Amino acid sequence: MASPAALPPLPFNPSRVRSYLLRLPLFTRLAVLVIIVFWLLELQTVWSVVQWGSLIPDEMGLSSMYRLNTYPLIHTGFFHTFINLLAVTPLLERFEAEHGTLTAIALFTGPLSTFPAGIYLLIEKFVLHSNTAVVGASVWAFLLLGSESIRTFKSNPYFILGKYKIPTWTSPLFACVLVWILVANTSFLGHLCSVLIGYLLGLGYLKVFVPPEKILRWIEGKLNLLGRLPHYVSVDQKTYGRYGVLPTAGAPAGERGTPMSFLGDDQMAAAIRKLRNNPHFLFVRLPYILSLLFIIAGVVWLFLLPLDEYSRKNYISENALLPGQVHAYFSGSEQHIFRGYKSELEGLLGTDSGEEVQRPKSEERTPVISDKIQSILKATGLKVATQNYEYTSSGITHQGENIYAIIQAPRGDATEAIVLVAAWETVDGELNLNGVTLALTLARYFKRWSLWSKDIIFVFPPDSKSGTQAWIDAYHDMQRASVQPLPLKSGALQGGLVIEYPLNHRFQNIHIVYDGVNGQLPNLDLFNTAVSIAGGQMGIGTRLQEMWEHDGSYEKRLQTMLRGMVKQGFGYATGAHSSFMPYHIDAITLQTQGIGWQDEMALGRTVEGLTRSLNNLLEHLHQSFFFYLLMQTHRFVSIGTYLPSAMLIAGNFTIMAIALWLRTGYSTNPFSDTAPGQGEKPDGMSQTASKDAGNISTTQNPSNKVIERQLALPLTLVIGLHLAGLIPLHIFNNTSHANYTSATYASVVVNTLLPLLLAGVLSQYRTTIQQIHLIKSVSLLLLGLFLSALATLNFSLSFMIGLLCAPLSFVNRITADTTPILRYALSIAGLFFLNILSPPVVLLAGCAYFGVSIETVLTEAAFGWDVWGMWTQVIIWCVWWPAWIVGAALVGVSLF
Amino acid sequence: MPVNRRKAAVLGGALILRLLLLLLFPSLPDLLTGRVEVSTPVTSFKRLQEGLFLYNRNVSPYDGGLFHQAPLLLPIFSLLPNAQEYPFPTALFYSLLDLLNANALITISDSAQAVSGRLYASIRKEITWDGAVIAAWFLFNPFTIATCLGRSTAVFTSTGILYALSAAVQGQSLNSMLALGLASYLSIYPALLFIPLVLLCYDRQAQRSNTTPSTALFVVKHFAVFLLSVAGLLGVSLLIVGDFARLVSATYGFHLLVPDLTPNIGLWWYFFIEIFDSFRDFFLGVFWLHLTAYAGSLTVRLRRQPLFVITSLLGIFAVFKPYPSIADASLYFALLPLYRHIFPLMRYTFFSVSALLYASLLGPAFYHLWIYAGSGNANFFYAITLVWSLGLSLIIADTIFAALRDEWELENPEKRGKTVKQV
Repeated sequence: MASPAALPPLPFNPSRVRSYLLRLPLFTRLAVLVIIVFWLLELQTVWSVVQWGSLIPDEMGLSSMYRLNTYPLIHTGFFHTFINLLAVTPLLERFEAEHGTLTAIALFTGPLSTFPAGIYLLIEKFVLHSNTAVVGASVWAFLLLGSESIRTFKSNPYFILGKYKIPTWTSPLFACVLVWILVANTSFLGHLCSVLIGYLLGLGYLKVFVPPEKILRWIEGKLNLLGRLPHYVSVDQKTYGRYGVLPTAGAPAGERGTPMSFLGDDQMAAAIRKLRNNPHFLFVRLPYILSLLFIIAGVVWLFLLPLDEYSRKNYISENALLPGQVHAYFSGSEQHIFRGYKSELEGLLGTDSGEEVQRPKSEERTPVISDKIQSILKATGLKVATQNYEYTSSGITHQGENIYAIIQAPRGDATEAIVLVAAWETVDGELNLNGVTLALTLARYFKRWSLWSKDIIFVFPPDSKSGTQAWIDAYHDMQRASVQPLPLKSGALQGGLVIEYPLNHRFQNIHIVYDGVNGQLPNLDLFNTAVSIAGGQMGIGTRLQEMWEHDGSYEKRLQTMLRGMVKQGFGYATGAHSSFMPYHIDAITLQTQGIGWQDEMALGRTVEGLTRSLNNLLEHLHQSFFFYLLMQTHRFVSIGTYLPSAMLIAGNFTIMAIALWLRTGYSTNPFSDTAPGQGEKPDGMSQTASKDAGNISTTQNPSNKVIERQLALPLTLVIGLHLAGLIPLHIFNNTSHANYTSATYASVVVNTLLPLLLAGVLSQYRTTIQQIHLIKSVSLLLLGLFLSALATLNFSLSFMIGLLCAPLSFVNRITADTTPILRYALSIAGLFFLNILSPPVVLLAGCAYFGVSIETVLTEAAFGWDVWGMWTQVIIWCVWWPAWIVGAALVGVSLF
Repeated sequence: MPVNRRKAAVLGGALILRLLLLLLFPSLPDLLTGRVEVSTPVTSFKRLQEGLFLYNRNVSPYDGGLFHQAPLLLPIFSLLPNAQEYPFPTALFYSLLDLLNANALITISDSAQAVSGRLYASIRKEITWDGAVIAAWFLFNPFTIATCLGRSTAVFTSTGILYALSAAVQGQSLNSMLALGLASYLSIYPALLFIPLVLLCYDRQAQRSNTTPSTALFVVKHFAVFLLSVAGLLGVSLLIVGDFARLVSATYGFHLLVPDLTPNIGLWWYFFIEIFDSFRDFFLGVFWLHLTAYAGSLTVRLRRQPLFVITSLLGIFAVFKPYPSIADASLYFALLPLYRHIFPLMRYTFFSVSALLYASLLGPAFYHLWIYAGSGNANFFYAITLVWSLGLSLIIADTIFAALRDEWELENPEKRGKTVKQV
């Protein structure tokens, strides 16, 4: 100790405690371990360990004899465990060090547990006629104290306190009484019994039960326990014991010859040292295990989310919203107006009222109808304007005319506005006559109120896909040339509501659609307000994610969440509201669903309530969550809870990349100086490593552990592939819709051949193993990088891509030393398996599963790319595809 | 000059790549110009356009408080056609500037000053890349490309610094001082490089003439040249702007007092947004003192390798400058490959490169969440700028460690390749 002289030495030296703990012998360790395990087991609530293993006099029978042995190992709580461990560990250690591990095991699992128990049972049951259960290692503590006190008595018979001589053997009894008085719930009788047995042990009456030393020694010698078990204490006290001969220099160093040679060596430290000496495990096996664990943990995490413990109840965070606090007056005479408007519009459809729904395409919004809508709005006294737009995508032209009208706020300054959208066609292509009529009626109704502090804009796009996009782009002057600018504008949009009522009968529930483009979501407060107004004030049920029946069970919650994730992951627009999201305008669609007794007035009142709530807003919706997964109308998981799931999946790639990087940085040399006792070198690694050495480090100083990484080829290849992803991206977004099917099949073929081609080229140019590993490392590093960045933007997409790419962590070039047949078989199987998971094949499989044609999907995707600014394709072609190609090429290399 | 085929290939490839990017993605320059990572208030091309507009209409460019760059840029850019209508000439101009920078880098690399100077020759001096590779590292660095396409005026400063270095290693110490004067005139902070640069010039001078001229006289002479060049440039600027006080307060005052706290990848903006106004002056002083402190101390510690001091200082500036952008990082990464020989001694390459990669992907993502999606906040972006700075400073610290270790191994040949512990 080099502590300065001025400072007093520490009374307590932690390093000594540490070395003491590190030197604990085997049986003591086991006992401590078992006690801790039992304590941990007790933490769960299903199976009461105490009830199972404690010594209860009335429960004793032939079949429950095990209790005689288990009770010292079981404790009732943390403090009980802790105090008993503190008391018993030094005593046990002392006993074991003196008598050897085998003796300790024989005695403590046998007589030294059962005898005190037997005496206790006899007295408790037959003398006292009561039934107190006992548990705990204190029985051993007192027993050993008893035997120690006898020993002390032999050498040092009395304490002398003044004139009185107190025999030392009484000290355990004092302790017994003291513990009984000081600590609640201790069994005085139990302790007394164990002290009694301890006296007997100390006096040597129990020697009969100790197995003969000869036999123990024979067992020890036969099984070579000394050599095999760490921390084992020999029976043979003469040679190896604490009081015997100390290990001398003659003992073979490094061998586990003596139990005491493990001074200062913990099992943990030993494990780490073992790991360090085993680079094959550390660099080759461990990353695979870790990666797999990460993936499993990520998936399990996701499946835990619907549980009550992980999801939270929805709540309204923004107090200004005051949902459902005002009376909705939209009823009565407004219904007549609604009917009037509806019949006017119906009349223009040129069809007899009734079954419009059955006729799909006949109700396009003709100019006559547009004029009618405009004239109704003008008659109400609103400013009306129109906007023409045209989009071309995949050779299909989408065009139309938006009509919109603005109610200027009587109490506002036109700096803020709310949007109500009623598209002529719903997202599913149905005629939204009731919705449009309702919006017209509401426009007339709202105009008469004087309480609006924000402008209200009514937008009537001809369809739900492109109309609102054109309108909102033009509202922010971001429109393209084919879209007209808006002649009439208002202030910053605070929120949007889309009304869809395509049914021709009364409805049952409101279905709230909230997903935006690229997985962006509206503020959770808007959703909550809708649920609370519809459910709490109007008594209309709310549904989400097309889950018409939802009983709040785990399965239903999971299903809702997964549906939400799929929609979010694909990132397409799920309704007219989706276009608002990129401009940071929170919007939802209210759809009617089911047959019930709610009429258009009820929907109108809900919209009125919602508009009133939005009207109350003092600042943009910002309080509540923007990142959430909904399980149910009243439960959600926030980003902090669900994000680790995708991050774990992304992390698995990074781990593998780091491991491969480390692996490529070392030549064979560190592997060869492993400890001599480590056994033979792992074959695969030494193969690759020696090959590495042959190819690369020829110019290298053999003593130099670090070898140079040849990065040029891996970097160029991986970055080139990522850039090459732009080609399919361009093709799939810009050809005519008729070609999509053939293009998909062509890309399947290309995907099968390209890795083989790459593999051929790679092996042609004598790519080294190191470079192969580096290619994989760089590719996985980029994949992990992209996916973790993506997880913050679109969790679901990152999660899905991560899962689909998961095999890429594990595929690798099959080492050349495998027999050719096996190698070919394995690599062909691997390639086949990877091809099943290639982007176009997954697309085909998905289309087949959902029963939609590829052309529809890809046309929609291209439309999303062109009109909505959706970038799911970029992720697929520039993140997933390059990583996949690299993975497949690496498997392919083993073919050549 | 004999045409080196590899160099020509690298330079030509880089030029073609830049023009190709411009052709394929015509909206890319405007996108990059608007990014906070590329354009800072003192290098923004948009602000330059604003100044140019005012200048062409005979209004003081500093009216309106948007333009804070050196006035000499204005006549240069008014010669070019309007970048809004004809983006191609400007892009070509910037690409050529990049090639010029690369050429200077090649000169620096060919002089081999990085591996063996007057006072010091590394034991690993065979492990180097030749000029073409170093030019390639610079020209194909995504940060350089982004800076070039984003038309940040930091490129001019880089040119000044790189030519100062290339002149210094060739022994043309007066040219070197003139170039440094230009760089300092453009954006003040390169003046901090004066001490190591003058030492580099001195070393080269001594190496050539095999005599040691008087150090004090040498330094004073060169300092005078440096000051004169700055003064001359300021004099020309006066002809353009007229109002000297206005000029200084709008450019150098803006650099020094950091009034614009637009987010950037540095560490200043968030700190000065958060700080109470009464402490602002104090911390401004502390931050600047911190930045300047490195120049002297590194020069003393690494006296034998002045070029390495300059490289490390450029890295430190990229982290601790008031308005850093990826242009500064790209300048640092341009000089770093000269020290190929100490790469094997670095310890955290993978970690710090990964940190930089993560930061450069997550930075735009979080900025998007904050500004556009509205679902994040300023802390998201700031956290990522911290990671970026961490990654950069790790690389800087690691290279300095490696350089010191390299020096140490020269002095202690018996300890080569062995693990040592400093106590």
